[in-house]
Amino acid sequence: MNKFNAFEMAQQQFDKVAEILNLDVPTRELLRNPLREYNFAIPVRMDDGTVKVFRGFRVQHNDSRGPGKGGIRFHPQETLDTVRALSMWMTWKCAVVDIPLGGSKGGVICDPHNLSMREQEGICRGWVRQLSKDIGPLRDVPAPDVMTNGQHMLWMLDEFETVHGAKYPGLITGKPVGMGGSLGRTEATGYGVIFTLREALKKMNIKPENTKASVQGFGNVAQYAIDLYTQLGGKVICVSCWDQEDQVSYSFKKKDGIKLRELLEITDRFGGIDKEKAKEIGYEILPGDAWIEQDVDILLPCALENQITGETAKKIKDTVKVIAEGANGPTTPEADRIIESKKIFLIPDFLANAGGVTCSYFEQVQCNMNYYWEKDEVLGKLDVKMTSAFLAVYELAAKKNLYMRDAAYVISINRVAQACRERGWV
Amino acid sequence: MKKKLSDKITPFDRKFFDATEDFTFIGTGSLGGKATGLAEIKDILEKNFSDSDFPGISLNIPRLVVITTSMFDIFLRINDLYDIAYSDEPDDLIAHKFINASLPVELLGDLRALIEKIHTPLAVRSSSLLEDALYEPFAGIYGTKMIPNNQFDADTRFHKLVEAIKFVYASTFFKDAKDYIRATNNDIKEEKMAVIIQEVVGERFGDFYFPLISGVARSYNFYPAGRAKPENGIVNLALGLGKTVVDGEPVWNYSPEYPALKPPFGSINDMMKNTQREFWSVNMGKAPDYDPIHETEYLLKKDLTVVEEFGILDNIVSTYDSASDRLKLGTGYNGPRVIDFAPVLELNTIPLNNVIRKVLKVCEESAGNPVEVEFAVTHNQKDRTARFGFLQVRPMVVSNENVSVTEEDFSSPDLLISSDAVLGNGTADTLKDIVFVKPEVFDIKHSNVIAEEIEKINKILKEEKKKYLLFGFGRWGSSEAWLGIPVNWGQISEASVIVESMLEGINVELSQGSHFFHNITSFRVMYFSLQAGADRATDWNWINAQTTKNETQFIKHVETSAPLRIKVDGKRGKGVILK
Repeated sequence: MNKFNAFEMAQQQFDKVAEILNLDVPTRELLRNPLREYNFAIPVRMDDGTVKVFRGFRVQHNDSRGPGKGGIRFHPQETLDTVRALSMWMTWKCAVVDIPLGGSKGGVICDPHNLSMREQEGICRGWVRQLSKDIGPLRDVPAPDVMTNGQHMLWMLDEFETVHGAKYPGLITGKPVGMGGSLGRTEATGYGVIFTLREALKKMNIKPENTKASVQGFGNVAQYAIDLYTQLGGKVICVSCWDQEDQVSYSFKKKDGIKLRELLEITDRFGGIDKEKAKEIGYEILPGDAWIEQDVDILLPCALENQITGETAKKIKDTVKVIAEGANGPTTPEADRIIESKKIFLIPDFLANAGGVTCSYFEQVQCNMNYYWEKDEVLGKLDVKMTSAFLAVYELAAKKNLYMRDAAYVISINRVAQACRERGWV
Repeated sequence: MKKKLSDKITPFDRKFFDATEDFTFIGTGSLGGKATGLAEIKDILEKNFSDSDFPGISLNIPRLVVITTSMFDIFLRINDLYDIAYSDEPDDLIAHKFINASLPVELLGDLRALIEKIHTPLAVRSSSLLEDALYEPFAGIYGTKMIPNNQFDADTRFHKLVEAIKFVYASTFFKDAKDYIRATNNDIKEEKMAVIIQEVVGERFGDFYFPLISGVARSYNFYPAGRAKPENGIVNLALGLGKTVVDGEPVWNYSPEYPALKPPFGSINDMMKNTQREFWSVNMGKAPDYDPIHETEYLLKKDLTVVEEFGILDNIVSTYDSASDRLKLGTGYNGPRVIDFAPVLELNTIPLNNVIRKVLKVCEESAGNPVEVEFAVTHNQKDRTARFGFLQVRPMVVSNENVSVTEEDFSSPDLLISSDAVLGNGTADTLKDIVFVKPEVFDIKHSNVIAEEIEKINKILKEEKKKYLLFGFGRWGSSEAWLGIPVNWGQISEASVIVESMLEGINVELSQGSHFFHNITSFRVMYFSLQAGADRATDWNWINAQTTKNETQFIKHVETSAPLRIKVDGKRGKGVILK
């Protein structure tokens, strides 16, 4: 999101819906800005003995519905505005699936590629020390995000527990299974995308086995989305991914359907598919943006933000009936207008990919009980939660003749606004 | 898939009791044999039965959803269960591994949605692909699990349902099932399991949930007695869950043509001893010990005296009046109760027999074959209406070969065994192996040990690919060790001719476990029944003089020098075994 200001975009989206909901001025003021922001320094002694000071953030957009929830990003181009926007989107995402959590986001300006594990540990522990009184299982619950993982979460948890002198497994989610993590968390986001897609197809009277899809991205979300979509009988004919070596992305196409297993065997740990080997097993290698112009029924953008733009949206074929956004913010407002005019059914990002945060919520519940569920239980609950959320948005969109993204916002913002009113804040 | 999901049934829509459809499915594979049978008979039943036909009783297939075989495939694949499934590990270990595995994700949301709305007991039943493909009933081979599903917490109910499904999946690979599959010359790797989740027909009384009557009706009777003819059929009735009938515990048998005709018990005392004394129900009370790998985890077997206080016996019992030494209908008197269903069958207080007769007729016409039907009945005490829940229909195998067993055969000097009560039809003249329970050491109290010894010899003969004649005392395949030798089908799978010599004081008419019985008929086993003591006419000296191949404490296996000649006239139920 380097060309545009994410926070401004988030505020514009909010303003549009606030208008639909006819919100009063104080509520708009409260919700279009974060409740609290922490902006702090993290001094870390580096491996060469020098001390480097990193910039850390935590933004708590709104916690009227429950403790804040949101990831921590390690990124060299991190800005406070990006974190603000993401924290606001987290508020809406938790509200749309109706889980009792608010929205937060955090980050550190750093590039983990250039940091040793020990240095990264230093950043993690420093970040927690700065915020140890302002986060917690009943206050604000961090999680992994861009370039952070279960290991980072464990360091942070350990630091928090050291400071507070007790065990708080519910402080943080995204922990490894067996260390307070939840089964099903890895699959949750990708599966969640397909739960909502499945329901959309039902509503449109289309059988999954009669559909074809094209997917952008081949990371965790895309892989599990492809897995479940294929199990439902659908056929993925194209998938794109980033090539670390060439620093560009490619699309991999197989007309009679890609096979997840064979691709996973030639995929590196960054989710990059080996194009030579892919060619050998019969894949056509196309430019990175070819995924969007395929003759398919379904598009699954599961990579990065800002991918379906006014420019690329024009390439979408008339065969496309549904777009389910696995990534955060893949579609620009300009592209939204094109999609809407083409009468393509859109499942907006903060609904489609809410499986991740829903499962994080389940993780936190399990941690707070210190009792862990079986995978069946986690995924069964996830499906019901996602399906109910989808149906609520769908029914509102149908009733009020709204674009799906707007309908989802209406539900979320209304829920949060109501919580603020009931608390007597506004 | 072979039998396409019929247009008659629709995908599950996350509603169960609220749904407009009462027969739905999840998944894309086959429905399996049992569910396909039900799907096919559904419309026929609806067409043939309107509520006005039989005032006071309504007929339907209890609400159900089928998880098709595609989910079974995915379950095995994603959990990598093939190795354990095809191994010879004990059943408990297989069940344990299956229960620790995860169900396919696309199934979970539907199950979760289903369970959140239902609080009444559910039956989780098997519906296997091979029984569908072969049009052969695999009766009682796979697991069925009943769950009370009355826990307050939806999480617990969900958990129990999921465990029950995994248990049924695991039972595909239990030892009995594998033996059976081998005995039918099938490959276990080709078997797939669909699962039926179905409401349990019944009512709650205290901590027990059960139907007033459950039963099995067959349109062909291999043991016709008195005036009854084979094609008049036979009905077995019991109080409580149908497990009593299918496991071969004492039940009430009658011919639908002559419902008031009582089985030929020697005396009222005999009748009281040999009719149902215990019943099965779903345990709605205190949670039992956690035991997910056993079928009976949530079932209770209780003495009939428990039911007395619920005031529901008046339709199904007679009461013994000691002053007159007679049975009187109903519960209007004090005295021991006998479950003989006399008010229903003699006074028609519930027009059950009329329904059964029509059901058999309709199903037989539809199948073009004799059939066996399982059902359960409830009776509303307040408005006096009954519900006939149609649970299952299976084809019966009846041979049409004309075999005549003549008077000369009966008086032949070569006669080894003869009987007027023989099941099956046809001839055999290649059998040289006889496996028998040694009469001189037989005691019914050792029947469990005897079953194990037979299994070992059966295994040896199986490896040698030899069929044999099996001779023993008491009812084969009974689950009650005091009634006979409690073998299951897999333990005697290679016996092509079976002889049972009845025990003193046990009624010949007692039901065989219907599953065991069904397998006998399906595999065209010739089954000779001898009255108690009739074995004394058997030429034991000749048998003992044959070459001994194997001998254990209670069992002996001999090989004859020349093949035995066996003839069974199925129409007259007569048969001989000649040296």
